Amino acid sequence: MPAAVRHEEPRGDDELLARIATGSQSALSELIARHGRGLRIFAARYLGNVGDAEDVVQEVFVTVWKQAARFDPARGRASTWLYRITANRCIDQRRRRALRSFIGLDDIRDEVASPEADAEATTAARQELAIVRDGLSRLPERQRMAVLLRAVGDFDIAAIAEVMGGSAGSAEQLLVRGRRALRDHLAMVAVGRERKSS
Amino acid sequence: MTRDEFERNRRRFGDIVEAWPAPFRQQALALMAAERKDDPDAALDRLVLEAALTDSDDQELASKVLARIEAGSAGPSLLARLLWSPAGFAACAAAALVAVMLAGYQVARLQDDPSDTELLALASGSSLADGGVVADDPAEEGSL
Repeated sequence: MPAAVRHEEPRGDDELLARIATGSQSALSELIARHGRGLRIFAARYLGNVGDAEDVVQEVFVTVWKQAARFDPARGRASTWLYRITANRCIDQRRRRALRSFIGLDDIRDEVASPEADAEATTAARQELAIVRDGLSRLPERQRMAVLLRAVGDFDIAAIAEVMGGSAGSAEQLLVRGRRALRDHLAMVAVGRERKSS
Repeated sequence: MTRDEFERNRRRFGDIVEAWPAPFRQQALALMAAERKDDPDAALDRLVLEAALTDSDDQELASKVLARIEAGSAGPSLLARLLWSPAGFAACAAAALVAVMLAGYQVARLQDDPSDTELLALASGSSLADGGVVADDPAEEGSL
């Protein structure tokens, strides 16, 4: 699979946004069918909370509905634009959560990566995924965002930098460090298990 | 992604897997590359994607978004959004603090408003215990 082809954006998204700008709800539904799942997975894993992610993604598509006319295909890809809006909303949501927690209105809980539930997973494959989820939740926020943008959004370094609003170099650093930390986490858990079993 | 899901998505998004939206694209490519050994970063990305997957219903999401659009509100009111944003909350808290300080200052000022007599007594060194009465003639001071 040639890498150059792999990240080529289908023109469909640009056309959908153009139709949304003219008030087409069917185009919005189609855009949601194309990107809703990815955005929701990204937001849920970044925020660690499915409910918050659901709310964020709804807000994102309402924003898209209102601002579709402002999207300029010449300035970037539609998917990058969608993920940038989502990333910003996720950061706002995290700040709101932290504030609510600070003033005692909320407990910050990682509802997506619930270790108790995952610990019940019996198969090795499910346990491995649970360990990856646990490792993801432990990553620093920006590293987690970079890793998720790569894995879920299928973005290259330049697009990750565009979504996160930084340079390509810093995006690459975040991705490298995030991957390394994840691998370290997986290795550490594996060593722990070996010790336990012996 | 199973082969059935792959075929279903091919009917949905077309034959060119590279043109499918994420994360369907990666899942399809992962399926295609399942038997192929590739670089460890790509393998980790696939693992992260698999671990990140959650149940989702796009139709339900679309109906909720359209309902919000038709309701005409993207979320809470401007005031509520202002209050829940960190900057807005801090600004409101600062404004409330300033208001309380000003109110406290006003109350204290009213309570401690010194009369002219007290000021005169203070200036002349008389005790306020005697009512702040200042003798006209300094010679009379201390003479009972």
